[in-house]
Amino acid sequence: MTALLQARGLTRKFGGVVALDRLDLDVVAGEILGLIGPNGSGKTTFFNVVTGIYGAHEGHISFDGADITKASSRAVYHAGISRTFQRSRLSLPLSIFDNIMIGNHKRLNQGLWFNLMRRGDFKREFEANYRAARALVEVFEPQLAERLFEPVAGLPMIDRRRIEICRALISQPKLLLLDEPSAGMTHDETKELMDDILQVREFNKGLTIIIVEHEMGVIERITDRCAVLNFGRKIAEGPYRQVAADRQVQEAYLGVA
Amino acid sequence: MDLGVLAQYIMNGLMLGMMYALVAVGFTLFFGVLDIIKFSHGDVVTVGAFAALATFVSLRSAGIVSSPLLLLVMVTVALVAMAALGMLIARYLVLPLRTAPALNTLLITLMLGTVLRESVRLFYPQGANPKPFPALLPSSSINIGQFNLRLDNAIMLAAGVLVIVGLQFLLNRTKLGLAIRAVAQDEETARTMGINFTAIVLVTFAIGSALAAFAGIMNGLYYNEINFGMGLYLGVIGFAAAIIGGLGSIYGAILGGFLFAALQTIGAVALPFASAYKDVFAFTVIIMFMAWRPTGLIQEKISERV
Amino acid sequence: MAQAGQTSRASLLPGIAALVLATGYLIALLAVEKQPLIIGLLAFGIAAVLAANWFGWLDPVSRSFADREDRLGCFAILAAFVVAVFFREDHFVLLLFVTVLLYVVATLGLNIQFGYAGVLNFAGASFFGIGAYTSAVLNTYTAIPHLLVLLIGGLLAALIGSLLLLPVLRTRGHYAALVTIAFALLLKTFLEVNDVLGGPQGMQVKPMNLFGWSFNDNIHIGSVELSFYFSYFVVSMVLLVGAFILVRRLERSWIGLNLDALRLDETAASCFGLDIARWKITAFLIGNFLIGIAGALFGMVGSFVAPNNYTFADSLILVSILLLGGIGNPWGLVVATFIVVVVPEKLQTIQEYRFLLYSVLVIAVLLFRPEGLLPRPVRSYFPGWRP
Repeated sequence: MTALLQARGLTRKFGGVVALDRLDLDVVAGEILGLIGPNGSGKTTFFNVVTGIYGAHEGHISFDGADITKASSRAVYHAGISRTFQRSRLSLPLSIFDNIMIGNHKRLNQGLWFNLMRRGDFKREFEANYRAARALVEVFEPQLAERLFEPVAGLPMIDRRRIEICRALISQPKLLLLDEPSAGMTHDETKELMDDILQVREFNKGLTIIIVEHEMGVIERITDRCAVLNFGRKIAEGPYRQVAADRQVQEAYLGVA
Repeated sequence: MDLGVLAQYIMNGLMLGMMYALVAVGFTLFFGVLDIIKFSHGDVVTVGAFAALATFVSLRSAGIVSSPLLLLVMVTVALVAMAALGMLIARYLVLPLRTAPALNTLLITLMLGTVLRESVRLFYPQGANPKPFPALLPSSSINIGQFNLRLDNAIMLAAGVLVIVGLQFLLNRTKLGLAIRAVAQDEETARTMGINFTAIVLVTFAIGSALAAFAGIMNGLYYNEINFGMGLYLGVIGFAAAIIGGLGSIYGAILGGFLFAALQTIGAVALPFASAYKDVFAFTVIIMFMAWRPTGLIQEKISERV
Repeated sequence: MAQAGQTSRASLLPGIAALVLATGYLIALLAVEKQPLIIGLLAFGIAAVLAANWFGWLDPVSRSFADREDRLGCFAILAAFVVAVFFREDHFVLLLFVTVLLYVVATLGLNIQFGYAGVLNFAGASFFGIGAYTSAVLNTYTAIPHLLVLLIGGLLAALIGSLLLLPVLRTRGHYAALVTIAFALLLKTFLEVNDVLGGPQGMQVKPMNLFGWSFNDNIHIGSVELSFYFSYFVVSMVLLVGAFILVRRLERSWIGLNLDALRLDETAASCFGLDIARWKITAFLIGNFLIGIAGALFGMVGSFVAPNNYTFADSLILVSILLLGGIGNPWGLVVATFIVVVVPEKLQTIQEYRFLLYSVLVIAVLLFRPEGLLPRPVRSYFPGWRP
């Protein structure tokens, strides 16, 4: 079993705070890994370091056999990693379709001449992408697929989450990073969204997912394996039932540590 | 170059630096409490100088001739009027846009600057022409060797130092200063500590704008002339000085002001044949500096939650 | 905006009706000389638009434009020609009309930078001036064909603009604003102290000459005489149509999407592979190119260039047009440019106060209607396209 994503001794500090402390983590191709831990334990920082928003102070990350420790956000995306954000970062004035196409950047022809002059070819590419976006949105919510050219600004939170996930999935990444997809949603909505994610995985076989989540129900239901962080360190790893029973983990959550 | 001329240049640089520093401090104060740049700040300098001039004209026509008295009233009126103007701007144009994109605040204060500038040009009698500013300080001078120290310059410099020291005292030693620093540090925490956020913002704008009026009067006394466009130049240079020193830092802004004046003075000494290009040189320096160190010598704290 | 379930294309009629009314109104406004009549006409125009909005007549118009833009664009060109032919002998009105057209081209350029990419440029008038000075110098000292001069004007504005690229790219928001304002002040001072370029007095610009067709002479077609400005009108119109199509295609492509994405959220955009610097540079250079070409032609039209015509205040006028019309909406720019350029020329009493008035107007827009007169609709890649 080879790791798709491998972090070794990953360290990131903010001033005097050590957000990631010599973290080792392996993510196996095809699995859904839950990343859990109390607030401020370094989960989102890990995502930000992987996606090149922050640099690492020490350690290495490799993805699919290549070193991406110093790679820019752009390069990380091109290598096949997509993400969602903890606080929804859609472009609100733009349409649903536009937001999803932002995620498809690497598969769109970005040539100036193509875009401005070869309008016939552009139209064919546009229509193909319209069908692709529509098919993807339909998996989540058929009604939303009828409204692809409406601005995102007027949509409820669950639809915005769905679009964010579609934006991350449209380019068919190898690894998807989900940062608290249930934030701001009700229990039922969360459940619905998780069903959708599992369904998408049926389409996109082999998609690997790392999910940061506070809803333990979600973690229990969809993850193959969990890693628990506390103060930037990994304190436990294994199937959810096993880590949930771990004394150190319970202490971390109860703040007894 | 002989020592006398050199000393003259240094004096000139110090005067410029003082004016830039006073304007830069305003930018830094506003940025501190609200994280915004108020582009109309330079034009408040102009309006302050013209308010002082108008006071002078009306007092003279009322028969008052005593220079110290005239100056005292002029400074008081200009400072109070600009403090009030600053509060009005903050209350009705800046605070209402807190939730809007930062770009809108930038644009609205930029347009407000034009409103102030154009109002002076259009509504001050013959405002489109440069106006002579009265020389109200003693013009005698003391000779120290070859150097000729003009008394009026010395007084202005001393007054500027006093103002800056006073501001430091206000910010570091008073409850009001503590509240301003608390708001600048962390708005939310300051609110929970019972600090009236709006009041502190208004007071900060009043202080910054009064400093601008002071700089405007200094500018008038030093050059014996004011015009409606002077604040635009002073504003751009003052803003650049605040950036050089790292936005948000008072010391940095003062340092930036003097640094910029030093650069300009050195430029004037080094390239005497190109004195016509003085402003071209100044603005080129600003652009080059922004290319080299876009966030200043002392880094502005940038934090973005992702 | 394309609504769900609305499968048929909107009718052309409301759009054509609006164009006919606007053309008639414009002709009346341009023809009238008496000040009270002009004030009355302006008041009537404002009241008519408000009333039309009240009765909901503007919605079919905007739907018509959204779906049938290509066809209505042709009608708009026709309308412009009707106005120009109506005033064929009137130098003043044609000059004013040409000024509007070239300002629209310049603001279209600014729109790419500011409206799409979010790159601030408060030196628009300076780059316009660089274009104008280019034609002054090249027409005086060289025999370069004038179409090529226009092109060089655009390229030079882009080239000199690229000197600002590093600071503009490395900074955001207020810092970029400072850089461009500093450049605007720098350029004006430079032009004033530089004797080669005529100093504060400026320079004469030789009129345009296209393949032996001199733009200095009136045109005689049979017994009809057209003002020499009619030639400039034709060339400006060609330039405007080209610029308009360019901006429209840019917006309705993946590039337009890229620019919107980086304007709205740079961090998210770079997490989806966008090369921020590349697209900012592209937008800045294309924008400056358009501004420069418009300026070069404007120099020839006005036959005279001076530093005082390209000040920071003029740059703010360009930005005002953008904010007033509705950032990102080219049709809004056309409407706003007519308002901003024509009204003070016709109402002599406010001419002197125009900078003040527009600043106040823009402050009001920002406070009460930040999306402008004609808000930009959601992108449709092909007008009238239905799934």
